[in-house]
Amino acid sequence: MNKVFHVMYDDDDTLKTAASQLVAKGIRVKEVFSPFPIHGIDPIIGVKRTRLGIAAFMYASTGTALALLGMWYFMISDWPMNIGGKPSFSLIENLPAFIPVTFEFSVLCGAHGMAITYLLRNGTLPGMPATNPDPRTTDNMFVMEITTEQNSLAAEALEAAIKETQLFELSIKDYK
Amino acid sequence: MQREAAIREPLILGDKSYKDITDDVVGPIQGPAPIGWKIMITISSIIAVYGVGCILYLLGTGIGVWGLNKTVGWAWDITNFVWWVGIGHAGTLISAVLLLFRQKWRMAINRSAEAMTIFAVIMAAIFPGIHMGRIWVSYWVLPLPNQFGSLWVNFNSPLLWDVFAISTYFSVSLVFWYIGLIPDFATIRDRMTKPFAKKAYGLLSFGWSGRAKHWTRFEEVSLVLAGIATPLVFSVHSIVSMDFATSIVPGWHTTIFPPYFVSGAVFSGFAMVQTLLLIMRKGMKLESYIHVKHVEYMNIVIIVTGSIVGVAYLTELFISWYSGVEYESYAFINRFSGPYSWAYWIMMTCNVISPQLFWFKKIRRSLTATFALSIVVNIGMWFERYVIIVTSIHRDYDPSSWGEFYPTNIDIGVFIGTLGIFFTLFLGFARFFPVLALNELKTILKSSGENYKKIQDKH
Amino acid sequence: MANTKRYWSGLDELHETEAFKTIQEHEFPETKSVDEFLSDDRIESTHTGRRDFLKFMGFSLTAATLAACETPVIKSIPYTNKPSDVTPGVANHYASTYYDGQDFINVLVKTREGRPIFVKSNGRTGIGRVNARVNASVMSLYDSARLEGPTKGGESSSWATIDAAVKSGLEAAGRNVLLTNTIMSPSILRSIETLKATSNVEHVSYDAVDYGAFRAAAVVDFGINSLPSYQFDMAETVVTIGADFLGTFADSIFYAERWAKTRRPENGSMSRLHAFETNMSLTGSNADYRTMVKPSEQGKVAAALLSAISGNSATNTLSDVANAAIQSAATDLKKSGTKGLVLAGSNDLHTQRLVNAINAALGAVGTTVLFDHEKGLFQGDQAAFQQLLKDMNAGKVSTLIVSDCNPAYDAVNAEEFIAGLAKVKTSVSTAMVADETASRCGMIAPNHHWLESWSDLQIEKNRIDLVQPTIAPLFDTRASGLSFLTWCNADAGMDWYTYLRSTYNGSYAAEAMYTDREWNEAVHNGHMVMGDRVTETPAYTGADVSAAISNVNKRTGGSFELALYQKTTMGVGQHAANPILQETPDPITKVTWDNYVTMSHSDIDAMGLNGFIGQEAPASVVNIVVGDTSMELPVFPTPGQAPGTIGLALGYGRGANGENIGKAAFQSGESGSFDTDAEGNLIPVGANAFGWARLNEGLVDYTQYDVRVEATGGTYPLACTQIQNTFMGRESIVKETDFTSYFSERDAKKGSASWNKLITLGVHEDVNADGTIDALDNKPTAAFDLWHEHAVEDVGHRWGMTIDLTTCTGCSGCVTACHIENNVPVVGKDEVRRHRDMHWMRIDRFFASDYSLKKGEEEGTGVIESYRRMEDPALNPQTVHMPMMCQHCNHAPCETVCPVAATTHSNEGLNQMTYNRCIGTRYCANNCPYKVRRFNWFNYPGYKKFGNFNPAQDSLMRMVLNPDVTVRSRGVMEKCSMCVQRIQSGKLEAKKDGTPVADGSIVTACAEACPTNAISFGDLNDKGSNVQSISQNNRAYHALEEIGVKPNIFYMTKVRNVEPTQA
Repeated sequence: MNKVFHVMYDDDDTLKTAASQLVAKGIRVKEVFSPFPIHGIDPIIGVKRTRLGIAAFMYASTGTALALLGMWYFMISDWPMNIGGKPSFSLIENLPAFIPVTFEFSVLCGAHGMAITYLLRNGTLPGMPATNPDPRTTDNMFVMEITTEQNSLAAEALEAAIKETQLFELSIKDYK
Repeated sequence: MQREAAIREPLILGDKSYKDITDDVVGPIQGPAPIGWKIMITISSIIAVYGVGCILYLLGTGIGVWGLNKTVGWAWDITNFVWWVGIGHAGTLISAVLLLFRQKWRMAINRSAEAMTIFAVIMAAIFPGIHMGRIWVSYWVLPLPNQFGSLWVNFNSPLLWDVFAISTYFSVSLVFWYIGLIPDFATIRDRMTKPFAKKAYGLLSFGWSGRAKHWTRFEEVSLVLAGIATPLVFSVHSIVSMDFATSIVPGWHTTIFPPYFVSGAVFSGFAMVQTLLLIMRKGMKLESYIHVKHVEYMNIVIIVTGSIVGVAYLTELFISWYSGVEYESYAFINRFSGPYSWAYWIMMTCNVISPQLFWFKKIRRSLTATFALSIVVNIGMWFERYVIIVTSIHRDYDPSSWGEFYPTNIDIGVFIGTLGIFFTLFLGFARFFPVLALNELKTILKSSGENYKKIQDKH
Repeated sequence: MANTKRYWSGLDELHETEAFKTIQEHEFPETKSVDEFLSDDRIESTHTGRRDFLKFMGFSLTAATLAACETPVIKSIPYTNKPSDVTPGVANHYASTYYDGQDFINVLVKTREGRPIFVKSNGRTGIGRVNARVNASVMSLYDSARLEGPTKGGESSSWATIDAAVKSGLEAAGRNVLLTNTIMSPSILRSIETLKATSNVEHVSYDAVDYGAFRAAAVVDFGINSLPSYQFDMAETVVTIGADFLGTFADSIFYAERWAKTRRPENGSMSRLHAFETNMSLTGSNADYRTMVKPSEQGKVAAALLSAISGNSATNTLSDVANAAIQSAATDLKKSGTKGLVLAGSNDLHTQRLVNAINAALGAVGTTVLFDHEKGLFQGDQAAFQQLLKDMNAGKVSTLIVSDCNPAYDAVNAEEFIAGLAKVKTSVSTAMVADETASRCGMIAPNHHWLESWSDLQIEKNRIDLVQPTIAPLFDTRASGLSFLTWCNADAGMDWYTYLRSTYNGSYAAEAMYTDREWNEAVHNGHMVMGDRVTETPAYTGADVSAAISNVNKRTGGSFELALYQKTTMGVGQHAANPILQETPDPITKVTWDNYVTMSHSDIDAMGLNGFIGQEAPASVVNIVVGDTSMELPVFPTPGQAPGTIGLALGYGRGANGENIGKAAFQSGESGSFDTDAEGNLIPVGANAFGWARLNEGLVDYTQYDVRVEATGGTYPLACTQIQNTFMGRESIVKETDFTSYFSERDAKKGSASWNKLITLGVHEDVNADGTIDALDNKPTAAFDLWHEHAVEDVGHRWGMTIDLTTCTGCSGCVTACHIENNVPVVGKDEVRRHRDMHWMRIDRFFASDYSLKKGEEEGTGVIESYRRMEDPALNPQTVHMPMMCQHCNHAPCETVCPVAATTHSNEGLNQMTYNRCIGTRYCANNCPYKVRRFNWFNYPGYKKFGNFNPAQDSLMRMVLNPDVTVRSRGVMEKCSMCVQRIQSGKLEAKKDGTPVADGSIVTACAEACPTNAISFGDLNDKGSNVQSISQNNRAYHALEEIGVKPNIFYMTKVRNVEPTQA
């Protein structure tokens, strides 16, 4: 019979200290729910650095490539026209005129690509159910989620360890 | 925990706790609509409807219902476009640039500033659309494969750059804004009792739960988006300015335009933010979040940008003389001495003289003075665009075609109408959206909250 | 006799077999009646299943949907069998002759699918070059106000009724009079002779504008009743005293071309033109020396000139300026001797006699002044006409036949005519529309339009010019000549053509039509020549002119003097209902859709009237008092108007009583409905000034020596296409010089002559290798290309144009020609006032300012003030007429800025406008330095505002639209296409012949219409083409060269034949 502990704190700093105490005891903190980003919690509970930045860069460079390719095709390869006597012979000669669109399109792809990835990876999409254990976690409460399953300690030992922290409220549920 | 110097003025006044912040922002949304709000939205929506009527008449009859003519092919339409785009710059600038510079004071204003940006850009986007002779084929500006065979758009044209710039800017700011909104919608969702409202905000919040991992991603995304949006802000108005700078019309063909337009945009954008926030903080009792310090900070930005704009004006004049080009120099002589000199001098007074008053701390920190001047500045910036556009083309190279422009009722109606639509949207935002970035404010409560600062001082 | 034949379908029927009968009975098998069918109880057992029902539903739904989306039906009528000479898409040209009582000229009429759509000069075989009035006149054929048949008392009637009524009328006692303008058709005159002979009809003729004094003077001085014909191509010095011979004076249509022949500096000599005039006329604006004199002084000028030439220095009351000008004119005249030419416009016997004396003294008669046609234009007899009016009012006239004239409008005393007409028992008019006169006549027997009818005209002794029909009569009309014959029972069932033929061939028979080579050739050429042109030099017999001198010197004027004139566009009002002419700007004032008082700036300022007419700056209204009549009229400030005088154009105010003479003749409101005055009457365009001409010694004088001008404080909007009158000293737009300076550098290399220097820009490198980098280091604009450009030289065709500012007189013929050729919309007064005229081809008229930046520096005036003063033209300025249309730039700024590539460059050097790709951002127009792009602000072919004047909105006038050119839709940009439709067809012709396109085989509408050949069109890449060689001429330059847009249009430096100091 697995148990899940929802430990509630009324302050981000107390939660942080509590977390480090527990982690010191070798207890694994599964998740933290907070109304705003608690700076410095990630290393404590072992959240890895996100790679979204890299993704964004890749999206953006795809955009750049697409833009240049497209303009080369439209203006030079497919149907070159004499527009105001301006050259329509090679990409290089026409490049100055293509810079703005290239930049804008890169930004477009970069930003949207990253935003979409972000929402997908979070699983935060229209119509998704809220999964925070307690409505107050989006207000002024901070909840730490600890499961027996992830920890070698027995439920009682865990509870004892948790109780040692300055918690505000504790709810224990059976884990289905 | 990060600290900040005691001498720094607190950004959040009063004895606030996390809970208070939530209540202060979500409270008004839960409560019934105040009478003042009802009155304002009625007025603005009536104006909006009138504006829409004018636009429909325009589309039904032809561009001829405006006062344009063979010499002046652009006037109020593009003036309004540039004016609105300019205003639309403050929001992203505040949230992006100031985020990069780690300016905490932005957190009180960025949410509404961004909202303003979105709405302003929507207003701006109306004009390139309706100023077309054949709006029903406006989609031809996109490089779409089509039944005409190899018929592509002209990537040499600054107007096409505009299409990309404006659409990118709009969608990116929208995304930026919304990603910031998601956690706050979650907060409202969890506070809502009425089932419908709960469902609605539940949908809007995308099921946000505030997990630690999500928060890290959230901050990363905000940072990267800010990083992308910053050059975007500058590029957009630079490109708008290229509509003029790449032409050959004396008074338009000016290399100084991009920086000059961008600073002008920030200038007018901040002024508009002032106008809106000063009303909002009163209306929604947000005095403790948006207070004199914020206003002062913004006024400082206004001084700086205003002065840059002033320098740009003078540089233009100097260069027009220094260039020794007949047409160039006449274009500028005509600006300040010709038939439209009145517009030029309104512009000069409003944009160059009036912001200098902010050098006085008293004025800078006086809310009423700020409010008045913010409106003056926006009038000035509208005239700046009018001067650039109309006085340059109404007398260009060939004197035989010199003409003048007289606005019609439809010109005026459309412009007033967009103001109406804009305020309707903004009032809607103020009523149903979290007008402050809750999650961000809470992060700075301890560092910049008045009460916490007091505690710090004790130690 | 009834047909008794029977046809049968087969033997069965013939033999009426059984089988056949049964079949015949059951031809229509009788079916069950509905009741029977329903009463059939088996129906009960049948049933429609759900699936079937759904099937039916589905089907009917689809059917309904398909039926709903039907494509628009375009009504067109195919040729059931093709006419031999009409090929759809291919134009036919017919030689014909235009004569409307004012202008006479041989023309070629272009027809498409049987519709005349364009009138141009018959250059090859004809005489004269069309002007704006003539080439726009084709519109009148399609005027929806034309009568659809004879009318009696305003009700439509039948020819029989009309003829009976007129015949009985002619039998009644009293004077029977036929009133016409100058009839130049021998056949009509022949029919009139018959009419006179058989039913005691007298023929009285008068002219809208009277030239009686010229004939009278000729009779006195040369004993010959003839209009002098001036040989400008022979003249070295021309002195005109108020004669607008380039615009509207007498047979001006022949003069512009001949005069221009002497104005080509490349010939090494130029004629010199001195003008003494009151109003700024087209001629005055082209004069080398122009002096402002009042109407009362014109005679004195002639007198002074005479004495100056004959050497006796008689004193006069003229100003010193005028006298100095007269002296220099006299010097030039004496130098030219027999090659001098003096003419005066005023219809005053004494002035004309003095002019004759001068020309005689110069010995010019026989060289520059010829009296070679007995008949010719303007044979009207004003005295007889006045006598007729008296008799009419005295009730002595029982029958009046009015033909080809409109006395109720243009008679000097129209009221008397109208009053008298009421007293005439039987009155009939042959007008095509119920105009001022016709609508007051008892009956109207409408004549054919000249494009519908046969006619012959004789302007010179030895030639007959032919008018041939180019379309079958649109309505139930009848040639006036035939009407005359019918009314005197002399028609003998003959049709008009037969009668016409029998005039020249008494024994003419219908068959001869096909065999008569001579005649058919004449029809092909538009005229036949009989013998050589006989010119005679009559002896000058009018030695003593002292009476004339004393007469002219007695004249004095009042506070203001009035000079009536004709507009180049409107003539005497015969074109009032022609929207294109109404919209064509007056060459001098650039005002459309109105006439107005022209007044000098000095007088305007003195009276505190508005001196600047703009979109929202309406003209001041003044009250003009002439004798006991007065009119309130707007004032237009006109440089060159003699101070103390005012000018007023004839030919306006047609249909003042709402006569239905055509929609365009009346003012329309913004809503598209006609404007009406307090009584609800239609308001005509402009005011009728004929009433202010005065009878003087039995002749009509078009001046008044004493008029009062009173400011009323009222204002009236005028629609002006050009509100800035000077070119602000921008010498890269207009280049001009004097003949002496030109001559001294006539062989200079292109771009090096002082009067046409290649424009260069300073660079920061030591170009001239003098060791220093300074202002001398310049490069031509061509050197400043950022990229290597598309090749244009020697690659296929490169269509280009050259425009000679020296010979362009500003006559506006090109404007109307372009307007018609390219279906340019007519937008009406209100839109023109809003600065939205649609002309593809416009003529920029620049007046010289007597101020300049240089002068400002000398006088220490600030730059700002100097520029402000440079906006004001001089009081008596020199004028430049500069045709301006799309310059087809090789580096077109309009092209680069179009987001959808709707305007691009063709590989033949054309700047193409793709209407159906245009989305209407107007960026191209803003970026065009020449401002030649025109935007369709409204749906001109459909929007109500333009219903009254835009030809595309009139079901009949629509016929004049050129099928080769699309009518542009709302919201797209348009501009000069260099008549690409003509280029394409020209290339097609060449292709069919398998030959390269020959130079001159393709001509644009404007170049074709230019009477002075100032405009030439051709292929710049075709070495040896006319346009190519002209473009290499050292006078050739690009307007606004320093912008570096590289136009394909070249302008030729304007050369004035003046002393270097006065250039």
